[in-house]
Amino acid sequence: MWLPVIGLIIGIMLGLMTEIRIPEEYSNYLSIAVLAALDTLFGGIRAYLQNIYDEKVFVSGFFFNIILAASLAFLGVHLGVDLYLAAVFAFGVRLFQNIAVIRRILLTKWSTSKEKLEKS
Amino acid sequence: MKISFTLIAAIVGFMIAIQFQTVKKPVERDTRDIWQLREALLKEKELQSKLLMEIRPIDEKLAAYDSKRTQSKEQALRDTFQELKVEAGLTEVTGPGITLVIEPVMEDIQLGSPRAKTVSPDLLQRLRNELNMYEAKYTAIDGQRLINTSVIRDINNETKIDGHTIRDLPIEVKVVTDDINTAEKLYNRMKVSKSRDEFFTESLRLNISSPSPTITIPAYVNPIRVRYMEPVTEGGGS
Repeated sequence: MWLPVIGLIIGIMLGLMTEIRIPEEYSNYLSIAVLAALDTLFGGIRAYLQNIYDEKVFVSGFFFNIILAASLAFLGVHLGVDLYLAAVFAFGVRLFQNIAVIRRILLTKWSTSKEKLEKS
Repeated sequence: MKISFTLIAAIVGFMIAIQFQTVKKPVERDTRDIWQLREALLKEKELQSKLLMEIRPIDEKLAAYDSKRTQSKEQALRDTFQELKVEAGLTEVTGPGITLVIEPVMEDIQLGSPRAKTVSPDLLQRLRNELNMYEAKYTAIDGQRLINTSVIRDINNETKIDGHTIRDLPIEVKVVTDDINTAEKLYNRMKVSKSRDEFFTESLRLNISSPSPTITIPAYVNPIRVRYMEPVTEGGGS
């Protein structure tokens, strides 16, 4: 359970320590990629809690979503339309939904365990 | 499962960190005190004087090259070329001179005779000769520069100067002289010249403006064809 959190912390530490900066014009792409990655991460957690987790789906979804989001942003830049907003919107909505589902699952789990505790 | 999750979490963390660092602008406060600032200023001044020292020899070199260039044969040739161009009439000329306006005589129209539409080439030729006689240096008729080989002739009842049809009356004749005194002389002579009478017999009036210090005459636009001249070959038996 704690391993992913440790991984996240290690990643952040690594990123901060290497002091890599990407050019200003590409920060849009990175931000959308981060959003896609977060979405996939929360989707994976939800799937895990719902016991429908599939590693292939998770890993492929992670990379595919990032690439799709970045290419959408790229297309948007070249078409002159802020297409990356579409990706932001989609990922944002899904992020909220996933987190809501996770919250509900955790709440039910918590309440059932509490009931069990009271019964015993 | 845990491994892939951890790996992807690490990647996400890495991306977030990079994004954070990219977006965050480093705020560096200037905390130097007055002495440190003075020191920095001194350093910059030294750099400035050093740069100036470096510039000086380069400037000198530039000046040397410049003077070399002006004294060179090439420059002399260029000057000659420019002089010849001015003489041939290929450049715009501005100088003191007078403006003559040829217009139909209005009183004549009221009498019922047909209004003169163009000026006959003979008349213009005479005017030009007269102007040249009185030391006109550059002449332009209706914006068309006259050079040594310019022809004024009648083609299909239209008066043409070097193939350029002159516009309807009134037309302007601009004359530039060497200096303002010559312009004055020219003006006085033109006022009493025979040309005016000749123009009047063809129902045209020649108005002569008083001398102006800046009259601009356009350049000759057509190419000058040299047909009966050849360059002298060096060492030739001429």
